[in-house]
Amino acid sequence: MTQIKKFFPYLIAVVAAFIAAGIFIAALKFNPIKAYETIFFTSFRTPNGFIQTLTKWVPLTLVSLAFTVPLSSGKFNIGAEGQMLVGAIGAAAVGITCASLPPILLVPMIILAGILAGAFWGLISAWLLYQFNINEILSTVLLNFISFALIDYVATGPWRDPAAGHPTTVAIGANGFLPMLVNQPPLTIGVILAALAAILIYFYTDKTTSGYELVVTGANPRASKVHGINIRQMFLFSMVIGAGLAGLAGAIEVSGTQHRLIEGLHSNFPTLGLIIGLIARGKNQAVPFVAFFIAILEVGASAMQRTLQIPVQVVLIMEALILIFILLSDLIKRRQK
Amino acid sequence: MFSLTFPRKFSKSSKQDDSMEQSAILQMQGVNKTFDKVVALSNVDFELKSNEILGLLGGNGAGKTTLMNTLFGLYKMDSGKIILNGQPVTITSPRDALSKGIGMVHQHFLQINNYTVLENIVLGSKVSHPFTANYKEEEAVIQKLCKRFGLDIDLSSHIETLPMGTRQKVEILKALYRGVKVLILDEPTTNLIPQEVDALFQTLKIMVKEGLSIVFITHKLREVLTICDRISVLREGKNVISLSRKDASDDMLVRAMVGEGMDLNKSVIFSQEGSRSSKANQKTVISLKGINKISDEKTQVLTDISFSVDSGSLIREAGVAGNGQRELAEVVMGIQSASSGSIFLDEEDITNVDTKNRIADGFVYIPEDRLSDGFLNKVSVAHNLILGYHHLEPYSKNGIINWKNVKNSSKKMISEYSIKTTGPDEVGGNLSGGNIQRVMIARAFSQPSKLMIAHNPTRGLDIPSMDFVYKKMFESSARGMASLVISEDLDELLLICDRIAVMYRGKIVGILPRDKFEKYEIGRLMSGYEQSSEETGKRA
Repeated sequence: MTQIKKFFPYLIAVVAAFIAAGIFIAALKFNPIKAYETIFFTSFRTPNGFIQTLTKWVPLTLVSLAFTVPLSSGKFNIGAEGQMLVGAIGAAAVGITCASLPPILLVPMIILAGILAGAFWGLISAWLLYQFNINEILSTVLLNFISFALIDYVATGPWRDPAAGHPTTVAIGANGFLPMLVNQPPLTIGVILAALAAILIYFYTDKTTSGYELVVTGANPRASKVHGINIRQMFLFSMVIGAGLAGLAGAIEVSGTQHRLIEGLHSNFPTLGLIIGLIARGKNQAVPFVAFFIAILEVGASAMQRTLQIPVQVVLIMEALILIFILLSDLIKRRQK
Repeated sequence: MFSLTFPRKFSKSSKQDDSMEQSAILQMQGVNKTFDKVVALSNVDFELKSNEILGLLGGNGAGKTTLMNTLFGLYKMDSGKIILNGQPVTITSPRDALSKGIGMVHQHFLQINNYTVLENIVLGSKVSHPFTANYKEEEAVIQKLCKRFGLDIDLSSHIETLPMGTRQKVEILKALYRGVKVLILDEPTTNLIPQEVDALFQTLKIMVKEGLSIVFITHKLREVLTICDRISVLREGKNVISLSRKDASDDMLVRAMVGEGMDLNKSVIFSQEGSRSSKANQKTVISLKGINKISDEKTQVLTDISFSVDSGSLIREAGVAGNGQRELAEVVMGIQSASSGSIFLDEEDITNVDTKNRIADGFVYIPEDRLSDGFLNKVSVAHNLILGYHHLEPYSKNGIINWKNVKNSSKKMISEYSIKTTGPDEVGGNLSGGNIQRVMIARAFSQPSKLMIAHNPTRGLDIPSMDFVYKKMFESSARGMASLVISEDLDELLLICDRIAVMYRGKIVGILPRDKFEKYEIGRLMSGYEQSSEETGKRA
């Protein structure tokens, strides 16, 4: 009962967001009912739609966790974009240079390289925070720009694929492709990796003493410090874990989907990651579910554009509206107290 | 309910006497106020007569401040009436209250530190030259008020340079300048040294002579018996008793404040001598040698602090807030590091040991600022109860938290320390201030410890709970724990400590053993007069 009571405001907020977006769609002279039908059922009508949704769910979950894990300790990692890209660079570098290794070695190496490269990119911000108390929001955002230049450099450098019109590297070795879970339509084991990551994060923050320290640091850093917790270490640690998850997303994108490094491969995932993290109210265990919901919307949105010619941006508006209404419902709850 | 057990004649006779002498300037009738589901005031009546000092007495959480805040327009009452000079009135805001001649001096002053006294007083009132900051005319008016009420203040000095007693005078002057007829003082003697308390009482007497009526909110019996003409006692948001001072006695007021449930004979607070720890086989637990601390702002906050605390003894740091006690506590806990000097635990140098390991060594800390330093609003009560001990068994093993054990221990603590909560899973932020304090106390006593550093440990607790805390401290100290209690409440200190060290501007200016405890001597030290050097040297 109390659980229902807790969720009720969120439900209202989501419904209200759909109504508001529906008015918007109607104002653009499209049929909102048809639009919503397409958005919600594309993911479930065909196996292809469902697998597309799962494929989108993987990076969405990981980049959202990249935001919420540091948030658990009270730090804002806005740099999932850069960390994902650098992770992808690391994964591609290993995939290209060690192409001849057998899959049993190469796949784990690519994944690990992605995680480590992403974590390293996060470590820069985390270390600046640890050592010089430099605001992590600024440093993570600024490092995003550096990562754009970096991917540009790699994708137009010696590994450039001369046949492609867009900055792209040559393909990684076929031995480095993520194994398939389902062949047709294609689904890689990336979905298992993401689910595993989400479960591990849940276990870590909820059941371990170190995770406890992370959570209490986020709840009140000053009181945590007074009670013997090394909060700066927790900040550093959570930033690095988050960045590692973003790096994993990059590696899965390279080894599972694109099979090469492409400029812009991060798509709009990192932005959606922030939205998902905020809709989940920063709760790590809620992230996979919210990410699934947003993946449905995203897949539905492209279908909607194809069949009804409604611009995909409508869905971005809808997502933003959901966020705004959920934040509003928090405000109302606080007022009622 | 309780008042029925008193002989009828007390309340009756006093009422008749007073009503013949004086008329009521202000009445509140049937006031109800609830916060969420907590009933703060239930059908409270209140009467203030003209030219009297009324003591509004009660423990923490009795509703004294809430009642006066509704009168001052800070809270809206759920139901009830205010009658001022025979006319029913509604008061919607502090500004409204001031315009009706009701002023209030809060426990925490709302002053701007880098403004002068004069600027603070005229701030927010109509001034004659609003665009030039020329306050000549206002200054003359205020000077006159100072003279009339015997308030000796230099109007051009900056607030931040003034001692607490003077800041309070500023606050009183602010109210007088706005022409109040009724002045409410909320726990006005907190943070004042005994000499300042005497001066305050003098001022209050002059104010009554000059035609004001005063409500004096306090939890200290001695004060109401010294200064008040009439006394009203509240308990748990209800009227208990109202009587004139000549009819009041210590015992009667104590009983009215604490209710029937408490065994006074066994209590620490009301025992005549205070229970003492045995002096046998004491050994030094912790000693500080020449601790200096220079803050980030490059000011010297601690100067050459040296003292030691023995097992089974309680030493108390006295001193007015902001004299370095907090820094001292944090240096002892290892939260801040000292700029120079060393700390020894059982003769072992622990100067460079971090907080985590000091906690593991048996250090316990009850911080002063519970909301910022001691409590986690956003997570559960259970999370709060294990903070700092979460890596110990039975709470966790090999880095994995055993939530079942945590919840079971939490439930035990919740019932033992009477924490009002729905259970270990409730979010900390739902708890009231007194219950947050209980959580911190429960946590502090949940582990065996060698040294307890308690900064205002009983803040926000009602009388039975305070007594419970003192008993717990005595129990632990009988088991050999050393305690460093830091408080600005001199009475608390006199009651429970074996020795009192007085700090002034980051220096220990004197350490007094229990047989040398004397209020005014301590007050003198607290305002910066050093103890004769031979005595200081002895114990340090």
